Amino acid sequence: MRSNWAREALAIWRKDLRQEWRLRQGMVAALLMGVATVVGVGFAALGQTLSVGLQAGLFWVAVLFGMFPALARGFIVEEETGTADLLRLAARPVSVFWGKWLFHATLYGLLSAALVPLYALLVAPLGGRWDAWLLLWLGGGFCLTTVLTLCGALVAQTAVRGALLAGLTFPLLLPLLLILIAGTRQALEGAFPAEPLQGVFGYALALSAGGAWVFEKVWRE
Amino acid sequence: MAQWTLACHRLGKRFGERWVFRGLELELGTGARLIVRGANGSGKSTLLRLIAGLLAPTEGRIELRANGRPVPDRTRVIGWCAADAALYRELTGYEHLHWWAQTRGLPSDRPTLMAHLERFELAHRAHEWVRAYSTGMRQRLRLALATYGDPPLLLLDEPDAGLDPSGLKLLQQVLDEQTRCGIALFATNRAECAAWGDLALELGA
Repeated sequence: MRSNWAREALAIWRKDLRQEWRLRQGMVAALLMGVATVVGVGFAALGQTLSVGLQAGLFWVAVLFGMFPALARGFIVEEETGTADLLRLAARPVSVFWGKWLFHATLYGLLSAALVPLYALLVAPLGGRWDAWLLLWLGGGFCLTTVLTLCGALVAQTAVRGALLAGLTFPLLLPLLLILIAGTRQALEGAFPAEPLQGVFGYALALSAGGAWVFEKVWRE
Repeated sequence: MAQWTLACHRLGKRFGERWVFRGLELELGTGARLIVRGANGSGKSTLLRLIAGLLAPTEGRIELRANGRPVPDRTRVIGWCAADAALYRELTGYEHLHWWAQTRGLPSDRPTLMAHLERFELAHRAHEWVRAYSTGMRQRLRLALATYGDPPLLLLDEPDAGLDPSGLKLLQQVLDEQTRCGIALFATNRAECAAWGDLALELGA
């Protein structure tokens, strides 16, 4: 039987899901942070009408806060528990990258399923263009997941994880976050955010081309 | 049957300012069984990790050839077992082997996997989480992973650690079988295992 990278990536994704199902560490941490952020914002904005710009910003900040704890579930745990060597021997780097990416994307999907209704209930109703919302959610999720997967892999290789994590992810996430907020603002106002969507999907294209390549360089010493 | 060759040319590894070894030359062919010996810190594990592709050499190069042709990504065709290699504590022995088989493109049907686990006397505990395994059972599982799919190059870093007499006998069988169609490198300082190799490399000498 011959192996291919997609089958290997799926095997890694299934392994991670099985571990997550048994330990429930990544999802619980992600939900805790995301829900706490939304509830906190909802409490602070109680009885007030938030501007669309603020609504858009707070939505993506809540998603980002929720996704950050999930970062540790990918590569940092593998390095800290010493299982990264097994993973290096088992699959080629591109499969490891996309396998971990799929796992992070699953967490993003689950987190969104919990946060979106909660946000609509506690902070502000998510109105406007639903087609634009969906595209922003898909494109933003792809980029966010790719950046977090890549940064998790880079950070896992070093001893100074905390400082490096912030240093690496900030310049990669900030432009994405600004584009997503601009796009979400337009979607909330009922306009189709063509330019922000172009930016998000262009960013996604660059990340998908470069992410796996950069990962291959850092994954094996 | 492919003729395998492992070649190390002017191999050296440095951590910081300290050279673990330098200028190492090694060439082994199918049927070779090399025992690597040396004091603690002499570089036995480092050598095996370099050959496995888990570390990059500071200088020199390593090549695995099949019928004279270099194998492009040797990391994924070798078998590697180290006493300190971590396993996924919340997966079962069977799930480990199934995952390994799927990522390496090896047969992953249940009868084949169970037969392999049976060979390492793990079949009766195959569906228990690894965290419930004893040290010796974990070592047997590492050996089961390393040998699954008959890798052409088997790297064993102190594989005798934690094994009982039946485990040691099994290890000897593994080495015998490996040298029929591949190459085995075996790092140990255990006196009773010294006779298991037909070649010896003393590091730090």
